[in-house]
Amino acid sequence: MADYDQRPRGGRGAGYNNRKRRYRDEEDYDRRPQRRRYEEPLPVKVRKQLLAIAESPLKPVEEEVGVIAKTVCDNYEDAELRNSFCELVVQLVVEQPFKTPFVAAVVLVVNTLNSELAADVLARAAQKANEGIRRGEWREVKLLMKFLGGLQGLLEGDGIFSVLQDLLTKAVDLQTENNEETIGPELVKIILFTIPYIMSSSATDVQEKANSLLENTDIIASEPHVLQSLVDPYPGNGTDEATAPNGVLSLLQKQLQNEATSGWELVCLPRPWKVLLEPDQADPLATAPKHTLPAIVIPEVVNAGPRALFPELYFSVYANQDIETVPSMANIASCLLRDALVDTINILDYNRNATSRFLIDIDCYFSPGTFVKRATPFDRLRDLVEGKSTWKPEDVAVDAVFSQLFQLPVPEHKLVYYHSLLTESCKLAPAAIAPSLGRAIRFLYRNVDSMDLELSYRLMDWFSHHLSNFGFTWKWTEWIDDVELPAINPKKAFIEGALDKEIRLSFAQRIKNTLPEPYQQLIAKEKEKDTPDFKYDNDDTPFAQEGKEIWGLLRKKAPEDQIQPIIDRIHAQAIEMNLPDPLVASTDAYMTSICYVGSKSLSHVLSSIERCKERLLAVGAQSPEARKQIIDSVMGYWKDQPGVGVNIVDKLLNYTILSPGSVIEWALAKEGTRLSLPYVYEMVSATIGKVTGRVRQVVCGKNAPGIPPEVKLGMEQTVERERKSMKDLFQVMEDALVGWATGTKDQTMQSGDGSTVDEAMIRQWGQRWLRVFRRKFAVEQAWFLETERVGVEEGVAGVEVIGGVGAGNGHGNGAVDGNGNAEVEMVE
Amino acid sequence: MPAAIRNTVDRLDKPSAYYQSRNKKRKYDRDTEERERTPEEPAEDPLKDAATLYVGNLSFYTTEEQIHELFAKCGEIKRLIMGLDRFNKTPCGFCFVEYYTHQDALDCMKYIGGTKLDERIIRTDLDPGFQEGRQYGRGKSGGQVRDEYREEYDEGRGGLGRAIQAERLKEEEEYGKGR
Repeated sequence: MADYDQRPRGGRGAGYNNRKRRYRDEEDYDRRPQRRRYEEPLPVKVRKQLLAIAESPLKPVEEEVGVIAKTVCDNYEDAELRNSFCELVVQLVVEQPFKTPFVAAVVLVVNTLNSELAADVLARAAQKANEGIRRGEWREVKLLMKFLGGLQGLLEGDGIFSVLQDLLTKAVDLQTENNEETIGPELVKIILFTIPYIMSSSATDVQEKANSLLENTDIIASEPHVLQSLVDPYPGNGTDEATAPNGVLSLLQKQLQNEATSGWELVCLPRPWKVLLEPDQADPLATAPKHTLPAIVIPEVVNAGPRALFPELYFSVYANQDIETVPSMANIASCLLRDALVDTINILDYNRNATSRFLIDIDCYFSPGTFVKRATPFDRLRDLVEGKSTWKPEDVAVDAVFSQLFQLPVPEHKLVYYHSLLTESCKLAPAAIAPSLGRAIRFLYRNVDSMDLELSYRLMDWFSHHLSNFGFTWKWTEWIDDVELPAINPKKAFIEGALDKEIRLSFAQRIKNTLPEPYQQLIAKEKEKDTPDFKYDNDDTPFAQEGKEIWGLLRKKAPEDQIQPIIDRIHAQAIEMNLPDPLVASTDAYMTSICYVGSKSLSHVLSSIERCKERLLAVGAQSPEARKQIIDSVMGYWKDQPGVGVNIVDKLLNYTILSPGSVIEWALAKEGTRLSLPYVYEMVSATIGKVTGRVRQVVCGKNAPGIPPEVKLGMEQTVERERKSMKDLFQVMEDALVGWATGTKDQTMQSGDGSTVDEAMIRQWGQRWLRVFRRKFAVEQAWFLETERVGVEEGVAGVEVIGGVGAGNGHGNGAVDGNGNAEVEMVE
Repeated sequence: MPAAIRNTVDRLDKPSAYYQSRNKKRKYDRDTEERERTPEEPAEDPLKDAATLYVGNLSFYTTEEQIHELFAKCGEIKRLIMGLDRFNKTPCGFCFVEYYTHQDALDCMKYIGGTKLDERIIRTDLDPGFQEGRQYGRGKSGGQVRDEYREEYDEGRGGLGRAIQAERLKEEEEYGKGR
């Protein structure tokens, strides 16, 4: 499929490759038999075969392996074929990890026929591994190690073990120096995930080496990382459900030790090389030539790579079922399947259709019998013969997607990618995937109280988006009892939040129609109104007359000097009424009128803000109370469609009419119950996101190469200023949230009707918020230190910055000239 | 972005065949007309840094807010321009979404193009950037061209194609009265 854009062009005389040509030229009009033209050139044919290896459950993969190997070796003199084959082998291994064992098998067979070709592959794989190490692309290094592990049988001496040993030495060095660093564990992860692929390869006499390596990885792998609790998806939040998080490394270490004692069965891994052994024939693999592994060098200074590294936890939504539909954490298959899945998912984000296909076809890539038949209903698993696998391939696949969707602090790609993957899988195999998703949703909902707050927000966002792709159908009846819960209860907050998000993607009436009767009350009549009422239309509202007049003038686009007299009238009356801040009253009338004038759509409100921005900027600058009133008016006007309000607040931040601090204060200072509102969380995290994004931007700007020193000085000051205000902002949050979390704020705000249950609930919300924003702050600090460290190191060592590194995701690690010394000490 | 390396799986963040074929056609036209004047076109790709997307197959009833809600999942939206009927100035089923970064636009191609909004599968295409005038439908009756002669009934897009509707109406007027 991916072929058309690189097929040899201009070969029109040859007569192939014209299937997709749109424009005919003269030569096409001669009447030669058309069919012959579809004969593909050999490199294209082999490419297709290799790309599709193991994809079809109908073709025996061992035959495919044999055919490909033979074709390539028989045509060794075809340089184009040779070259494209070697190139594709290495590329396939890093782009489609499921196929690695099969590709390795092809190379093993190739080696029995033509050892030079195998040497060529080895050289390229080693070169790519060296590049990956230099750039800190540790996932790519791991994938190449797994591949080379599968080739251990054709390597001389220690083979890949010597590289693994070097990696371990480096990891131990790093960890001894500082046990908070994260590269060491990453290197150990590479080692541990390579071992199973060596042990399931054609290599013999490797058990001892593996066992001794495993003894030495234990010290790093079994120690829970200090940052582990930071990324725990289920901190418990004071409920009983808190479970100790399972670090992937320690889990895998244990699983491998178990395998070592049971003779390295590694049941789930395929052995496509095995069938080569025909009964009465000498093993060709054993007698084939052996190769020395080309040097793979770990440099003195290792690069953390483009993504921030955090300890990885094993997350599963299917862990506690009465029948095992995914491998238990005691079984090594849990980690091996997950690792291959997660890599596939994160590498292939550029084609969610292909990725979904992989997820659904997962059973093609592991040994037969690993899973039950696809789409076997959960209830049918009970009837299966004792001793047969009950692992549902779709559960294993879906579980891996959720592990990314709920990855803390952030997954590799935007969350919506993982949404789209679940949508696509569901479209591709609804009978298989939909019931699995149903069970996942039930598990997640059941535990929503003990989940990290950020994750429960992600859950809500995914859930509503997913339903919007499937006609908004969900068995709401299951949760009917929870409709009666108070708004502050996490489950109820989830339901309300999810419905609000559904409405935003659709409209109130439509969503109402999908809901059972008890839920109907949750969607108030007002939500169905396109234009919310204007409160000044009601004459009982204070300043009703003035409000209406301002609206009238704004609608006519009257100049500001006509509005000022009315504002002055409000001020005069407010002073008469002894209101504490007259500006608050006039701001309310002004901002509410802007909302009403612009109620038709987002662009309408934007253009009315644009027209009124001078006054709004002036008001905001005058008093913090007035600034908060702007938010109050917006959210008050849009109280039934808070999503619109949140959006407007976001734009007001862009205009700097609002400051981030005023949003935080509006959200957190006054009412504890606001903490349970999903849209308040949305507003605050978007605001924080803007601030942290800005800091990252100025830091990267400062570190960009080639900036003259005098300019740089100014940029450094900007960085300092922005970092300071970010820190202050987090501090404001910290103070407010600690107040809620410990209950000290409750007392001061107590209006007398707060029951103790509510109080306890507010404390819990406070703790949940605190956890999220402390983490966000920690992540930003870590990012800054790492960015500066890399910059300084590269500056001191004079290492040339490799083009393109880190540029892909916008946070380039540019070189810094060696005098950014302040931060170096903080790193040590 | 290293463009030279072809992936083992197709990428979804490439411009559509529609965009490419349009370009090709244009090139052909130019070839015949101005061959002498511009023998070598600079090969600058207008989509190299594109942060704008054309979004198609929307329902006429889909609102800015709905579009915003979905598309903001790929990054902050800088500008959203609704496609309007040239004569009525009502939404006619397409829009332009502009992000702040090229990467957000690419991600949108990968993650949102081909999914549903307001219960319709929507189409996204990278776009060199909005220009005044492009917000209007180019069909004869003011909407998009595809809604002129569409033979399938599409409730979200005004029923049958407008030209067909007009034809039916005419037929009815001419023959219906006599029946």
